[in-house]
Amino acid sequence: MITVVSSVIILGVIGIFFGACLAYASKIFYVQLDPRVEKIAESLPGANCGACGAAGCFSYAEGVVEGAFPANGCIPGGKDVATIIGGIMGCAVEELTPMKAVVNCKGGKKEARQKFEYMGVQDCKAAMLLAGGNKACEYGCLGFGNCVNVCQFQAITMGENGLPIVYPELCTGCGLCVKACPRGVISLIPQSQKIYVGCVNPEKGKAVKAVCEVGCLACGICANKNNNPSGDIVMEGGLPKISYQDNLRILPGATKCPTGTYVIDVTYPPVTYNQEKCNGCEGKPKPLCVKICPAKGCLTFDAERKKAVYDSSLCVGCELCISECPVVAFK
Amino acid sequence: MQRTIVQEFTKGIGSENPIFRLVLGLCPTLAVTTSLLNGLGMGLAATFVLLCSNTIVALIKGIVPPKIRIPIYIVVIATFVSITEMVMAAYTPDLHKALGIFVPLIVVNCIILGRAEAFAGKNGVFRSMIDGLGMGAGFTVALCTLATIREILGDGKLLGYPVMGQSFEPVLLMILPAGGFFVMGLLMAALKMKDLRADAMKRAQAIAEK
Amino acid sequence: MDIKVIFLIIIYSILIQNFVLSRFLGLCPFFGCSQKLSSAVGMGLAVIFVMVLASAITWILYTYLLDPATSVMGYMTANGVPPDLTFLRTIAFILVIASLVQFIEMFLQKKVPPLYRALGIYLPLITTNCAVLGVAVLNIDGFSAIGLNGKLTFLQSLVQGFAGGVGFLMVLVLMAGLREKLDLATIPESMKGIPVAFIMGGLMAIAFMGFSGLSI
Repeated sequence: MITVVSSVIILGVIGIFFGACLAYASKIFYVQLDPRVEKIAESLPGANCGACGAAGCFSYAEGVVEGAFPANGCIPGGKDVATIIGGIMGCAVEELTPMKAVVNCKGGKKEARQKFEYMGVQDCKAAMLLAGGNKACEYGCLGFGNCVNVCQFQAITMGENGLPIVYPELCTGCGLCVKACPRGVISLIPQSQKIYVGCVNPEKGKAVKAVCEVGCLACGICANKNNNPSGDIVMEGGLPKISYQDNLRILPGATKCPTGTYVIDVTYPPVTYNQEKCNGCEGKPKPLCVKICPAKGCLTFDAERKKAVYDSSLCVGCELCISECPVVAFK
Repeated sequence: MQRTIVQEFTKGIGSENPIFRLVLGLCPTLAVTTSLLNGLGMGLAATFVLLCSNTIVALIKGIVPPKIRIPIYIVVIATFVSITEMVMAAYTPDLHKALGIFVPLIVVNCIILGRAEAFAGKNGVFRSMIDGLGMGAGFTVALCTLATIREILGDGKLLGYPVMGQSFEPVLLMILPAGGFFVMGLLMAALKMKDLRADAMKRAQAIAEK
Repeated sequence: MDIKVIFLIIIYSILIQNFVLSRFLGLCPFFGCSQKLSSAVGMGLAVIFVMVLASAITWILYTYLLDPATSVMGYMTANGVPPDLTFLRTIAFILVIASLVQFIEMFLQKKVPPLYRALGIYLPLITTNCAVLGVAVLNIDGFSAIGLNGKLTFLQSLVQGFAGGVGFLMVLVLMAGLREKLDLATIPESMKGIPVAFIMGGLMAIAFMGFSGLSI
């Protein structure tokens, strides 16, 4: 009996003693915490990616309450999280365009030349320390996967050809891979943009051709007024610069590229051609539609029958021919 | 997402196995799996504690103030561990001696406190009991797997009975600490290989559907 | 005060019977907290601090309240013989450790916030670190390898707590250094992360086995 009584007393005393110590300590070491910080922190994805500019999700929550960060600063969280934070802070939230990461390089192991065989640390930054990397092109993707390692959302993997593959459905546009790439090959574009330039080499002509089959030669064909009537593509330095409005506006210029440097991730339905209406654009050396069509071999001129010949399997759906044809033979 | 009762039990053995998936409770795992009997004993002891603590925590979760819930859970778990310790010392003294310091260390086994905090503190009594049984079963299965490999390779015996032929030279390293690390590492690698394959298939399926 | 015994405790706890690689105590933070060198050092130092304090307080509690041979509880009983409360050891020790860690958490949050944020979730996890409760129990159970078959003295307990913590810190730092290098190596995808860390731990355990032949 005495054992029971004494054990109850002992444990009770220990418990009360330490409880009192902790209670006293919590008074001395009291840290003021705004309850809103906790609520905001709970609504965040918790990936600590740093896209908001804060050092982790909890710092962002603290910053929002202090007023240092906007309520829509969490990019991976998107609209849902921004609405919740706006509700907690009691402020209106403006919508941000959803972004995605794209790899601006098409020069994989098949297309780009290697300077030497590299057997060092499998890290892009480390590879660059050795004679500027094992790729002949001094600007392109090295393929050791710094971007893959840093992604918190499993949205990027290394492809077979030595180029990273981004899954836009999983990409939140947080920008960690953009910062991780030592050559700046990855950039953020709006989710809706499906056509972009697959090269970051600013050199021109032979210098690029020597190092990569699909590099941009800065020939300017894509930016040419005939191929790019909307004017959305402009040559800047040795690379095209796209002011994105709509994919269809950039499509003709992108298709006309002789080296296939553009990444075109969208397909449009082919136009329908009514050959009877065609009058061969009499009086002109070449029919207007054949001249404007960016897809090689899609529209050709049959000189004997004086009509344009259309191959629907090669059509990219840019619809330039529709506006060009004087007799409206296309739809 | 409500799970069925059967799923509550089997998740502890498969998808949420405390050792292979949640990577909790590593200390007893590597220490006591030198023989199948020890592994089984530890697994059963931990299951008993897990079951009892989950039940009690689920019962008292309504009246426990949230700020001091962790120390209270710890005291509940410690009580059951003390009971287990004394029962083992009395009825299975050999096992108690073999497990040594790891019997009182069941208290700090992350699995038990983790389940009390994550599950029993938020769910009903019956579900908590099933979860406790499932997690305990998963823990026991993992311990037995490791123990079987280590005992057969390191001693040529299973449960004390010789199972390998006369000419078998046991690899002593297997029942030493290093062997435990190696076997665990290789098992985790095999599991990760299976996971990667499943992930790749899932990703391919998701892309194909888009 | 036997200097040789103190020295033996230190050498055994750090090298010959290292808490992590030989005794299997403290494995969860060993694999969980060793990805970066900075967090490994912070964790190791915090654990040393907790182990020393826990050793001290639990020893005092056990000696003067629980152990019938030295308890002051004799005043409670009618015949002056203190009750044998050693079965309360587990509960009392873990209560002490949980309170201690809670206290340190509060202290760090107020006085050293950067360290508090750096340790993050690993600070409350020191409560469930097998090494801390383990060393408290080992102080009571004795150190048979060096001939101490009963409870250790107060000083010996403190030394075991400190040396065990130092051994833990050393192995944690070694593992963190190795893992940082492994991050850059070409390893098969299925081995990356935890599996190769276990293999490294195994190799380290073999290396430390070399100390077992040490006779002082």
